[in-house]
Amino acid sequence: MTQRIDKFVLKNGMVVIGEPMADVASVAFELALPCGASKLPPGTGGSAEVISDWIFRGAGARTSRELMDALDGLGLQRSSAVGSSLFDLGCAMESQTLSQAVDLYGDIVLRPRLEADQFELSRELAIQELAGLDDDPRQNVMLKLHELFYPQPLGANSLGTTAELESLTIETAAKIIKDKFRLCDAIFGIAGKYDFAAVCDQLSKLFEDNSKSTKENYSYKLPGAKYVHHTHDGAQVHIGLMTPAVTLENENYYNARIAVSVLSGGMSARLFTEVREKRGLCYAVGASYHNLKELAGIACYAGSAPDKAQETLDVIIAEFRRLSKGISDEEIANAKAGLKSSLIMHSESSSARSGGIVTDHYLLGRVRPLEEIKQKIESVTADSVLAYLRNNPFEHFTVVTIGPKELKVN
Amino acid sequence: MEFKYHTLDNGLTIIGEINNRAQSCAIGFFVRTGSRDETPQISGVSHFLEHMLFKGTEKLSPFDVNELFDRTGAKFNAFTSEENTVYYAAILPEYLGQITSLWSQLMRPALRDEDFNMEKQVIKEEIAMYKDLPHYYVMDKARSLHFGSHPCGNSVLGTNETITALSAGQMREYFSNRYAPNNMVVACTGNIDFDSVIDQVQSFCGAWPSQDVRRNLEYTRGTNRKERSEKPNLVREHICLVSPAISAQDQRRYGASLAAMVIGDDTGSRYFWQLVDNAVTETASMQFEAMDGVGAFYSYIRCSPENVEKVDTILDDIYRTLPGSITEDELTKAKNKLLSGITLRNELPMGRLTEVGFNWVYLKQFRSIQQEIDAVKSVTLGQINDLLAEFNPGTYSRAALGPQK
Repeated sequence: MTQRIDKFVLKNGMVVIGEPMADVASVAFELALPCGASKLPPGTGGSAEVISDWIFRGAGARTSRELMDALDGLGLQRSSAVGSSLFDLGCAMESQTLSQAVDLYGDIVLRPRLEADQFELSRELAIQELAGLDDDPRQNVMLKLHELFYPQPLGANSLGTTAELESLTIETAAKIIKDKFRLCDAIFGIAGKYDFAAVCDQLSKLFEDNSKSTKENYSYKLPGAKYVHHTHDGAQVHIGLMTPAVTLENENYYNARIAVSVLSGGMSARLFTEVREKRGLCYAVGASYHNLKELAGIACYAGSAPDKAQETLDVIIAEFRRLSKGISDEEIANAKAGLKSSLIMHSESSSARSGGIVTDHYLLGRVRPLEEIKQKIESVTADSVLAYLRNNPFEHFTVVTIGPKELKVN
Repeated sequence: MEFKYHTLDNGLTIIGEINNRAQSCAIGFFVRTGSRDETPQISGVSHFLEHMLFKGTEKLSPFDVNELFDRTGAKFNAFTSEENTVYYAAILPEYLGQITSLWSQLMRPALRDEDFNMEKQVIKEEIAMYKDLPHYYVMDKARSLHFGSHPCGNSVLGTNETITALSAGQMREYFSNRYAPNNMVVACTGNIDFDSVIDQVQSFCGAWPSQDVRRNLEYTRGTNRKERSEKPNLVREHICLVSPAISAQDQRRYGASLAAMVIGDDTGSRYFWQLVDNAVTETASMQFEAMDGVGAFYSYIRCSPENVEKVDTILDDIYRTLPGSITEDELTKAKNKLLSGITLRNELPMGRLTEVGFNWVYLKQFRSIQQEIDAVKSVTLGQINDLLAEFNPGTYSRAALGPQK
């Protein structure tokens, strides 16, 4: 497998990264704008979610309906996501429609109509979505966990609060678009079947502007361990737990990733074995690595009936702590096999790769070649993971529970 | 891409779509059994049995099984529906042999009492988890309401009561009746050595005896019943509509998928413009589900409790004006969305596996991606309008779940 990464920088600084893929008829792109939830002005939480709907309600020469018809007419598989730092607009398609799709996204980002009556509808939908979270304790517990684990505004829920959404004005939302859709700080990632020269030519015509970079350099610290319970008269106690880990930039990143895989990489991993297989405490239990540019952690979810929830939490914490006592070579080998196969399978998907190269570029300023990632995974040993855990022990846990019973974090 | 198939003497069919340029491959055992094949006394057994297959064989402990899978880095799992139980793994080509051997062995599980009793706790937790997911809860409720006494209304999970009462003996009996070689298909896709898959499946499964396996294939148009239930902890109204449609064997299935897209796709559909765009509902979508001998359109709608009346009025309007009203423009958009979805899904061996497997399960046919694309393209407006005249989704069963009034 030979891998090529294309790169081009527009005059205004917008970065275009591409990864061509042989044997696919599809192409996917992702445009990341510096308009994530943590980049919004204070008191405007949820505005990026409102904006992510509003900008699709008419752009350029097209009304809301004409724009939707044009997007659907190309058969685009669309996505948009408001993250902590970035606001991602993504789209996958059959490659012959790429240039038309890019034109439409040029209108959406640069010339949204931003009509007042459409703003009210976008805001109302965001308020409804926020209310809907109360009916989904499983998703809600992880959002509340991020809020508690990360310092504000990094951990902010992208939907904000009802009060923030209700007080958001059309003027404020329009100003956020003007200030935060800075193309000079945007990253455009593309993967699949494309002609890079043609893509860059089109992007240069569409996205070249006079925006000025305003990269901020704040330093953030994790606020420390806490436990918060939210009473909910449901069937299970939904448990979210997080503990600090190093970020992607850190030389110990792959040790941290392997440590998480030993805990929860597959069905032979420790959490599944101890919580589900040996004790039958849960159906769903799992941990994964979660990172922002500034900080990172390992996040764990479990859902358990009220009479078993305390034991579930106790066993999970005990397993996190036990990891530093010893890890077998077989566990390391399984963790490596799991990570490497995920890597190769992701490399077959144009959508996964367009997202992956944007994330890499945002976090590191470059795209890690797959071969480099493979080698780094390969170089991890039980000793290197244990050394990492000695210096970064899993000791302090931020815990959120939603359910009929409050627990104790022992 | 090359298609190959082979049937063992006992009726076990192995099919493969080979793409030697792919970097991964996928393999699955598709067993033609699910909750519709259960009696009320053993409700939930198909799904529980799916869990039990991971508990190993006479030679392999549950921990051995997990270890053997994880050693290869496989992305593996299983799912159970009303009529299929599917075990699958996406893997790198060098591990195909190990995984084929492992799945083949697991198809003859030990079903030990101690594992059964432990896993019963996990199943009850899964039932509890879905109770806290009103979206799933209301879909399940609507299915049961719509199908009434027809077996497709049987719950996949069962209830706390049926699972508590279920014995390992009842499970063993169900297993021996349903997991016959002639009632399953082995499918593989991607970068595979098909001949060695045949050899392995033959060596592990070739001696299993075939047997007579039946299923009630009666068609139903459903009950049109409507029911609302309440849960004090909810804040939104969750609504599911189910109406009759054609079966997986009916050639009009592409038209039915396109019709569901015109009416209820996430973007640009009639639901979208009349319910979501104007913020009457938070979400509203429709899907066509083709099943063995029967089929249904499902809609899911979530809104504030205050808007329910408005939603019903709009739905009445959508369906009153539906007959003969689909336009060429709507059909073209639906086709383009469906076609790009087919292209993207089928680029991954794992995405291709379910399509290839289910086409064989339902149709005993291999259908290439190009055949699927041509079939979607050939659907005409007349066909869609005729289909909707015969199966107007405006006559539906309706389950709702919301807060106390």
